[in-house]
Amino acid sequence: MSAGVGVDLENLWIRFGDFVAVRDANVNINGGDFFSFLGPSGCGKTTILRAVSGFLDPSEGKVLIGGNDMRGIGPNKRPTALIFQNLALFPLMKVWENITFSMEIKGASASQRRKRADELLDMIALPGQGDKLPSELSGGQRQRVAIARALCAEPDVLLLDEPLSALDLKLRQHMRTELREIQQRVGITFIYITHDQGEALTMSDNIAVMRAGVIDQIADGKTIYNDPNTAFAASFVGENNVFRGKIKQIMGTEALIATNRSGDLVARISSANQGKMKEGDEAMMFIRPEAFAIAAEGASGNHFVTARVNHEEFEGNVFNIFTEGEGGKEIKVSIPNHGQSFQDHTGQNITLEYETHNAVLVPAGELAAE
Amino acid sequence: MNLSFLRVSIWVYLALFFLYLLGPLVIMSVTAFNSSAFPRMTPWECLTFQWFGDLFQDQRILNGIKNSLIIGAGTVVLSVAMGLAGALMLTQIWPKLRATYYTIIIAPILIPGVVLGISTLVFWDRINRMLGLGADSVLSNGVFLTVIGQSTFIASYCMLVLVARLQRYDMALTEAALDLGATHAQAFRKILLPFMRPAIASAAVLAFLASFENYNTTTFTFGEYPTLTIELAQKVRYGITPSISALAFIIVALTVFFALLNEAKLKRQELVAAARKNATVEELAGKIKLPSFFAGNMAAVLLVVFAVATITVVGTATAYNPAQCIANVKEEKRLEAEQRIQELRKQREEQRKKREAEEAEQGDAGQSAPKPSNNSGFGNVFAPNTLGSGEEESQDTETPPANNGGFGGVFDPNSLKSE
Amino acid sequence: MPKFLKEFFNRNGTGMGLAILGLVLFWTIGLIILPQLSMLDFSFRPNLPPPEIGGPKDVYTLENYKYLIYGPEGGSQDYNSVDLRVFFRTLLAAVCVTIFNLIICYPIAYYLGQSKGSHIRIFAIMLIIPYWINEILRAFALRIIFGETGVLNTLFMGLGIWDTPFDFIRNDIALYAGLGYAYILLMIFPIYNVIESLDHNQIEAARDLGAPWWRIHWRVVIPYAKPGISSGCTMVFMLSAGALAAPQILGGPSSLWFTQLIYQQFNDNNDWPQGAAYAIVLLVTCILFVLAVMRLFKVNMGDIGK
Repeated sequence: MSAGVGVDLENLWIRFGDFVAVRDANVNINGGDFFSFLGPSGCGKTTILRAVSGFLDPSEGKVLIGGNDMRGIGPNKRPTALIFQNLALFPLMKVWENITFSMEIKGASASQRRKRADELLDMIALPGQGDKLPSELSGGQRQRVAIARALCAEPDVLLLDEPLSALDLKLRQHMRTELREIQQRVGITFIYITHDQGEALTMSDNIAVMRAGVIDQIADGKTIYNDPNTAFAASFVGENNVFRGKIKQIMGTEALIATNRSGDLVARISSANQGKMKEGDEAMMFIRPEAFAIAAEGASGNHFVTARVNHEEFEGNVFNIFTEGEGGKEIKVSIPNHGQSFQDHTGQNITLEYETHNAVLVPAGELAAE
Repeated sequence: MNLSFLRVSIWVYLALFFLYLLGPLVIMSVTAFNSSAFPRMTPWECLTFQWFGDLFQDQRILNGIKNSLIIGAGTVVLSVAMGLAGALMLTQIWPKLRATYYTIIIAPILIPGVVLGISTLVFWDRINRMLGLGADSVLSNGVFLTVIGQSTFIASYCMLVLVARLQRYDMALTEAALDLGATHAQAFRKILLPFMRPAIASAAVLAFLASFENYNTTTFTFGEYPTLTIELAQKVRYGITPSISALAFIIVALTVFFALLNEAKLKRQELVAAARKNATVEELAGKIKLPSFFAGNMAAVLLVVFAVATITVVGTATAYNPAQCIANVKEEKRLEAEQRIQELRKQREEQRKKREAEEAEQGDAGQSAPKPSNNSGFGNVFAPNTLGSGEEESQDTETPPANNGGFGGVFDPNSLKSE
Repeated sequence: MPKFLKEFFNRNGTGMGLAILGLVLFWTIGLIILPQLSMLDFSFRPNLPPPEIGGPKDVYTLENYKYLIYGPEGGSQDYNSVDLRVFFRTLLAAVCVTIFNLIICYPIAYYLGQSKGSHIRIFAIMLIIPYWINEILRAFALRIIFGETGVLNTLFMGLGIWDTPFDFIRNDIALYAGLGYAYILLMIFPIYNVIESLDHNQIEAARDLGAPWWRIHWRVVIPYAKPGISSGCTMVFMLSAGALAAPQILGGPSSLWFTQLIYQQFNDNNDWPQGAAYAIVLLVTCILFVLAVMRLFKVNMGDIGK
């Protein structure tokens, strides 16, 4: 794998009138990385992509590709290729003409183009489909043609704007693996935009979590999942149970929180916030459903929560238990299915237990909308 | 309400409506083939193609067609270009300006053509004077003024046609092309223009037809270059001849032909599209052959029928000798006339006798007098011979007895010309 | 450079952007706005021979407008009754033609808009074909029919319905038929466009609720089709008030159309400022009239041309 060309955003601001779409973004994307921007719709991630591809001028700050400032360089001069959300395949051109459009622009002969198209069609596993029109292909095939068209331009950086969102679930999961494979093979930098955390986690080397124009956290998938910086990152990526409260006592990397409804609980302060939080601060503690276990009845302490079971659900790989803690606090618990006999707890009170390192403490903040 | 009654009345209404719409065109077309010197359907005199010959020898008409084609070409280019630019601007103009802008570019459709013609004339005359140019400069040239004047409102029509298509255009396609390295001009030429091509073709046809038939604006701006429409208007205002019908027939025939051609093409595209959905490319290559061109394609069938009819007519026209026909008619007429003269004499004698006998009480004998003179009711009164304008008929010096009557002169088409 | 202009050039490229902007400015300012303003200015000036234009006599005056109302100075009458009568008659006749067209076109537009099947396309072609034929030739065709020895007189006299030829032209029947004929498509098309988008289920529902057919039209179809109707009526009114060919060919000898007066001022009297003033009066009156009627029926300007 070659080193590839990196992309850097330095103090990037983008404004539309009074509206700030991107606020002071600083990102370093390494060459050859699969990098994702993850966030809900309207968070400004597509705006960043358009700034990188050159369709938008930043209001302030810089976009650097391979260390070169891109200011004043149009989209047709940048070493990037964009895969549009709706793919934007040229409807009146055949598949092979679509794929080799970038060569047509440079004046390549038809036979050269044909040859290159056949190579790329082989690569995307659509051999012999070059003479069809895009409208005659299925959704997944169109997807791959769009990728081939972008790759044909031999970009240093491939930008993908939620390209899988129009596909059905099965195909989406299949295309995830395929995209990752293609990226490994061509070895260029991929910048991927998505609101689907599953896509981001499975494919990316690194992920930037965005909220309302602000980048909350940049890290690899495991870190984002296990050690979120903010309440938003914790609640947006994966399912999480949140406990609000005030910090009662700091104990090195751990803290004791007086939660509003579940008593005093102990948690690990997230890495980015260690040393920044102090006693008396409003804070949020997150525990993932799968981090709970059912404890023996009557157990009590700073890592036990009691709750009453509302109803249960069998999802195949897990049992989901929906409980109501003290004061109406809802808690979801997922118990892995190991084929054990499972007792129905509906209507009973149970005690839940967690390990301290699985409870993450961050400053109180905005949560992701359900 | 009785449903079948309602249905019948709808069909009757449709029939009447299309009779009003198409009847005049049919009648006008038919008069082109009647040898009568006044365009009319009844009485049918003799099939002739003479009026077509006259038409093609009329230098003013030919010159008018030439001017119309030149002006039409200029108008098509200018209006489609302005219409496309206007449509592109409409899709991306600052939202606050959009309503005002739309009102301005749509207004020329509603401004009377007369007003457009005058304002064009006045404005460019003034520019011409400001630049200190003479009366023979480009700015006061009839072709220039007419193209400018017509394009003012024809561009609005083009804009409406183009913006309808442009609204279905995905701007991401242009961005994709730019992203793949195309310049703006390349993206326009290779992506947007092919997408707009059908609409541009429609707009161009519309612009040409609108330019070709325009009278109100052109009548103020044509200067030294009268278009066909201007020439026609002059002719129609100062007397009508069947050679205008001949021209009308040609235009109607061409229009019908191209309308059917277009419809057949559209239908074929639909059929192909439907077939493509169910078949792969390989299958299609073998499947879509000429015979299936007609399958379920009414317009195509009509087109073929129409083409065959045209060929037949043209074939007949070349083989057909109008001189022979007209000579026959003349001969017939002479015989008829002689016979009539004989009859006339008899009648007059009878009348004289009658008059002499009934003179005292008979005041309005004149009115009943013409009736016995022919057996076809009013036929004689309407006979083209009464016009006296057809050269070859001038020897048929027939004096219809109807002229003795009180209202004979009313039938004289010359009275129309004086209006 | 203002921000929106910069964005415009970014989006379209400098060359393409300049081409688009240039064409649009030429069209809107050079062809639409300035000529109208120029005509307005011209209408307030005296009719001078070319050498005196721009000279001391070239001053603004209301003379041309006064002429329309009071006639020539020192004339025998208090008002220019001939021209004023022509003016009001033209407006009235244009209103009649519009109403006539609306009445005959609404059923057709409704039928075409709500029927399914391939015969609709044939009907559409049959509608469009006459519109493609020259305006002069259409008037000519009607003249053949309405002439004193024309088809109608032959037919009716042959049938014995009347026995002296009826002068359709002198009675302006030919003119109204011709004006109506000329603008049928402009009335049908906007109404058709709107009615086509009306969900047929609404009509079915109204019928299901027991509404008679006229009430369905009055309460459901016509309110829905209002933008199309107003658009069609506006176009037909403006175009028939501004028609020139049909009145010249089909008009009776004694009845002039206002546009013919304008034509005469320009071509026969060679009095351009006077003609321009008349044109301004026609344009402004028509626009005010249309706006007033649109306000009366509560229709928006933005619906026109759709």
